[in-house]
Amino acid sequence: MLLGIDVGGTHTDAVLLDRSGLLASAKVETRQNDLLQSIHAALGRIRDVAGEVEVQRFNLSTTLCTNAIVQEELGPVGVMVSAGPGIDPEHFRIGDHYEVIRGGLDHRGEEIQALDLEQVEQCTKRFLDQGLHVFAAVGKFSPRNPDHEERMIRALSDRAAFLTAGHWISGQLNFPRRIATSYYNSAVWPLFNEFANSVEHSLGEHHLSPQLNILKADGGTMPLSQARRLPVESIFSGPAASVMGLMALCDIEEDALMLDVGGTTTDVGVFAGGDPLVEAESVELVHRPTLVRAMKTESIGLGGDSAIALNEGQCRVGPRRLGSSLACGGDQATLVDALNCLWEDSYGDREASIRGMGEIGSGLQCSGEEAAMRVVRQSCRSLREKTMAMLERINERPVYTVHEFLESRRIEPRRLYVMGGPARLLAPYLSREFGLPVVVPDNSGVANALGAALARPTLQAELFADTHLRNMTVPVLGRQESVSRDYTLKQAKRDLSEDLCRYVRDNYHWRVDESEAEVVEESAMNMVRGVHTVGQDIRVKCQIKPGITPDYEGVVKCLCKELPIG
Amino acid sequence: MLMQGVANRLGVVFFPAFDWAISPTHPERQERLLYTMDQLKEEGVFDIPGIEEYRPDEADLDDVRRVHFSFPDTESNLTPSHLIAAGGAIKAAKLIREGEADKAFALVRPPGHHAMKAVHGGRGFCNVNIEAIMVEYLREYYGVGRVAIVDTDCHHGDGTQDVYWHDPETLYISLHQDGRTLFPGSGFGSELGGPKALGKTINIPLPPKTSDEGFLHAVDEVVLPILEDFRPELVINSAGQDNHFSDPLTDMNFSAQGYAALNQRLDPDIAVLEGGYSIHGALPYVNTGIILAMAGQDYAYVREPDFDPESLRQDKRTSKHIHQVCSQARQNYFQPPESGISRNMEDGYFVRSKDIFYDTDFITERQREHLLDCDHCPGLLLIESSSSRLKNCLGIEIPRGACQRCRNAGQMYFDKAQQNESLRNMQLIDRPGGAFRRYRRE
Repeated sequence: MLLGIDVGGTHTDAVLLDRSGLLASAKVETRQNDLLQSIHAALGRIRDVAGEVEVQRFNLSTTLCTNAIVQEELGPVGVMVSAGPGIDPEHFRIGDHYEVIRGGLDHRGEEIQALDLEQVEQCTKRFLDQGLHVFAAVGKFSPRNPDHEERMIRALSDRAAFLTAGHWISGQLNFPRRIATSYYNSAVWPLFNEFANSVEHSLGEHHLSPQLNILKADGGTMPLSQARRLPVESIFSGPAASVMGLMALCDIEEDALMLDVGGTTTDVGVFAGGDPLVEAESVELVHRPTLVRAMKTESIGLGGDSAIALNEGQCRVGPRRLGSSLACGGDQATLVDALNCLWEDSYGDREASIRGMGEIGSGLQCSGEEAAMRVVRQSCRSLREKTMAMLERINERPVYTVHEFLESRRIEPRRLYVMGGPARLLAPYLSREFGLPVVVPDNSGVANALGAALARPTLQAELFADTHLRNMTVPVLGRQESVSRDYTLKQAKRDLSEDLCRYVRDNYHWRVDESEAEVVEESAMNMVRGVHTVGQDIRVKCQIKPGITPDYEGVVKCLCKELPIG
Repeated sequence: MLMQGVANRLGVVFFPAFDWAISPTHPERQERLLYTMDQLKEEGVFDIPGIEEYRPDEADLDDVRRVHFSFPDTESNLTPSHLIAAGGAIKAAKLIREGEADKAFALVRPPGHHAMKAVHGGRGFCNVNIEAIMVEYLREYYGVGRVAIVDTDCHHGDGTQDVYWHDPETLYISLHQDGRTLFPGSGFGSELGGPKALGKTINIPLPPKTSDEGFLHAVDEVVLPILEDFRPELVINSAGQDNHFSDPLTDMNFSAQGYAALNQRLDPDIAVLEGGYSIHGALPYVNTGIILAMAGQDYAYVREPDFDPESLRQDKRTSKHIHQVCSQARQNYFQPPESGISRNMEDGYFVRSKDIFYDTDFITERQREHLLDCDHCPGLLLIESSSSRLKNCLGIEIPRGACQRCRNAGQMYFDKAQQNESLRNMQLIDRPGGAFRRYRRE
């Protein structure tokens, strides 16, 4: 049996399923200051329905680390940085303990200035004197050559409770993001680690001993052991859970959009030929971009509880949420109230909604129903405009080869999948506005928890080889070795696929076939010095992409009946 | 990223064409911007508030035909990469004119500033003049008038000079290594523009070993005062990067700090990459410096690993020479010497003859150019051209702002030329009419 829990901003959702389908689901309110209790409560509800169960796997999606970072409830971290020439690393200062060490590498990973080990020593001492025991060490161009980072790590490791080296996070080049991501990884560790201990303890109390995985922002899972090493990967898993849930519920084979309409916001996800779009570097936290690989989703500040405001004879919806809808006992009309006016089979106190929209209508010199219609249409237009702007950015993303420029395919959605509380009421209006058929899957209320439960491991790694310098590195897998001068792209692709699969088997306890390791980027460029070709610059990026746990594919598939356009 | 707040919104159109080369070991090859990309990505340049990366547009053939006579035809003298590079420059210009950015940098390849008005093939790694295509696009669709192009590539931009030789609305200033010591062997102070655009071409031939000090002197003492007088609507920097001390093809001592400072002072609206072939030691740092300077960000720490200001210091003799060149160049703009102008006239036309060598495609060309001495407009332009590849070609241009007489004369010449059995290939650029006509005799 599989258990999935998604701890969201407002609700915590839980599902239990086996190969026959959904056995139980539960929804409880999230207690922001006690997430553990929320998990405990959701688990209790599941057990009330399902009784004694044997859970093999428990996938958890939690806002713990996101909240800690956004609310700046972070532990102190000693950040040691080596930079070399370029943008002044002072611009990247983060946290209260940030020191720049002399030394630098160039873009090939060759040393331009040796790391000042004496300075490393002094800095370590200062950090210890300040009572620090959690660290991050980040070097510019460390994915090309981790040597400086490793030296800093060695100096710190004896006295460290926890540390992060920049190249463990990603093989992507982006020094400021690597600094921020490494810092966050260390800064959330104390909190996450304690949380992980408590969750394990809590499961014990429920007499459960499943394999525990944490959901990542890219829609894949990582085992708890891995999450304790890279807790920052758990940020922003919520929208990814929804996307995975949709994949579990519907067979998506073409370009499509997901709109998950929540209380305060609507999350938009994009599918290209049935695969959810994943971006290598996208998550931005408190205006700091990170290297955390994430699903390409955007959050639009408009949801079911977005307040309707009158302003100079015009009505505006959102982006503020001032409480729940009138229908649910709130004191401000919201989008849900407008929808409630237009539909017979509404929910909550429909009379309250009608009264509220009537008042708004009198401000607009029209009937309540007319006002409700305007509000709904305007909300749909706003959702379409923001979604189309996002698509345009995706379709206009930079490309670097003539081939890609001429051949790259635009994403053109053929279908809209709408989930969340007001989905069913909003769907026909969205369909008309987007000019697309709309599907509202069954069980979409717990899609996020289903997505968490059914997600499987993902991993991405980059290989970089320089046959002139005769070296090869796979930073995130910790591989670094010499290669011969005639090392080829073909070998590189095979090496990386094998490495990736081996790593997943050994560290994720997951049987993965090599065919599942997908090469997403590859290049081999001749390096010429003077008039002679001296070697090749080989780059490969490989991933195990997000997907539904194979044995469970189809167990919660719903009919996904399509609403005709408009 | 805690860089200073947004100073300029800078659009960077980055197109490194990783699958395109002139030939496998040619300087203009796939690898050229690879390390620049790595440096820009690692510096997180595109995360700096205000700096955005954009995909290029693709120029269409009419955008090229608006500028060039291309023999035998436009299609056979270019590849998709040329259209994307030109489209990259156009995209940069659009970003500015549409108000999406304050400044733009087209970091694209292949380059263009050696492509002349008439084209028979590749010269100095260039087949189409991407700046000229951009400028004429701006004039066609955005009503832009006066434009200044400041060419800081180490090689004289003889193509751009040729395209704008007769255009009084386009100021072309080139800073380059003295033509007696480097390809293409032109760009002397005495080259001042055609009889109708005298002083609108200004050449500043700098001696070998000119360093940051010399370049910045030329910018401060010549370029900026001239720009102030000319008052262009747009300043464009042909941002070649081969003045760098590590460039393998040239002999200058310019640095990343110098390039950044030059861009800060020149403050161009648009920069377009031209040459620059020190792909490891210069381009990653120079491009980072230029981008930061254009965005108004701090570039003080951007320097090459082997940067040593002492060893690059220019000696007294070089400085003295530079000062002389600069004061002459200044004078060439403010008081252009009438004596230096060729005023050979034939039947009311100014005439000049040229021999052109296409080093990249190994073609020789002989040209005879006629410009109608018109009192009402820049004048009808006729170019008779024969190359080792294709003989007896004719290009006719009715320029922007042409008067009715020149328009009629242009059409008449084109019609008449078709009856001339000896001419093989005729092309007409009719700017006021927005038409491009071709005629080929089989």
